[in-house]
Amino acid sequence: MTRLATAFALGALALAAVPRAAAQTVADEPPVAGTLVRWFSDSERITVRSLTGNWTCPLPSAAGLQLHFNNERVVVPGIAAAPGTAEAVDAITTASRPISGDAFQDFIKVRNEVQGDYERGPLALSYYVSSERDYLAQQLGGRWSRDLREQSLNLSLGSSWSWDDIQPLADDDTQTGGARRTTLHWNAVLTEVRSPTTLVRYGVEYNFVNGLQHSPYRNVYAGGTNVPERHPEQRQRRDAFVRTSHALPNRSSLKLQYRIYNDDWGVNSHELGTRLSQYLTRGMSVRWEYRWYTQTAAGFYRDTYTDPNGVDGYRSGDYRLGALSSHLFGGALRMDLAALAPTHAWLQRLSLWFDVERYFNSNHYSANVVETGVDFRFP
Amino acid sequence: MRRAWKAAAVALLAAAAAGCATVPVKPWQRERLLDPIVAFRSEAREDARKLKTFEAREGSTGGIGGAGGGCACK
Repeated sequence: MTRLATAFALGALALAAVPRAAAQTVADEPPVAGTLVRWFSDSERITVRSLTGNWTCPLPSAAGLQLHFNNERVVVPGIAAAPGTAEAVDAITTASRPISGDAFQDFIKVRNEVQGDYERGPLALSYYVSSERDYLAQQLGGRWSRDLREQSLNLSLGSSWSWDDIQPLADDDTQTGGARRTTLHWNAVLTEVRSPTTLVRYGVEYNFVNGLQHSPYRNVYAGGTNVPERHPEQRQRRDAFVRTSHALPNRSSLKLQYRIYNDDWGVNSHELGTRLSQYLTRGMSVRWEYRWYTQTAAGFYRDTYTDPNGVDGYRSGDYRLGALSSHLFGGALRMDLAALAPTHAWLQRLSLWFDVERYFNSNHYSANVVETGVDFRFP
Repeated sequence: MRRAWKAAAVALLAAAAAGCATVPVKPWQRERLLDPIVAFRSEAREDARKLKTFEAREGSTGGIGGAGGGCACK
């Protein structure tokens, strides 16, 4: 692990040593403050309310600062089966939430996240912290980008190091102690202006995860008994993706995306996505979205384990490690009031949007997401 | 899967190389690419939020060129 930390530090120093290039982002834009409310609800009756704030500000010397805050309230419902029944016992032992005492009460947790990004010329540094009662995550990241070929090509290299401190809450049927998890991330992204109407982006990403990677609260029924879930402590994850964006003639655009993913637990996946946007009038647009996803199961994942040791000592009750496919349909409405209300000094600084999404997968799981937000551009 | 990775790598390299063979698009020809419905950057924050949702429901990660923050939902 020390070797990985050293690799990250050397990588960050190498990025910082590279001369500046023309690529700029936040520094070129006016200050913007925005807020967003998001509601998530799924077929397991879990609900998440997110309240987000963003602030973007240019600074002197071609620099820029972005701050992001998110407060989430997650409600995991109490066990629905009647107390004392076999269904209730199964639900309690396989629950991924902590259960201490009353399993039939809702479990509520609050998550607060703060992220800061500082950009100067081609360099960007970021720090992220996320806090929950049983989880503290921190991440330090760096990115360097450079324009090439008369600014028609941009190469971006990024890396981050995150360290998570996990302190499980009291749980009646598992006794997992405190644990840590670290993630080393690398990415390389190439963005190209292919024609006056076409953008293309290619990217590769690599993550090395080390530490606790299973639910500290979940048991798995294996070989006729309930045993705590156990996943390997290390995971190497890599993916490659390509995205295209085309400006179409009738004030519309089409975005396409493909991603291939693979890890050393045996999960292989493919993702295809498309977004079609259309201006209804100047400053008001609608967007339709569809995403298809499929994955194979991890090598140690089984629907039923016949041995308490699982497969090679690992066993999982996490359906995300099983084979699955999913679909997402979405619609969005966006309004830039600068175009819709040009005579009102304050209104013309506002942008509003409203998104609705429907997600469902082959595990009989479905979720709805509703999101609405507003951005205000300062003078 | 290894064959699929090789095919994907060859396709990406070929596509990137094909772009290098063309004449660069001049800055004054890029007006339409700055439109919020066309630019990648205008959806970056939304993509990061969606990545977290997908990571909490599926077994893979990635696709936006940056690491997501850690949280207990993964």
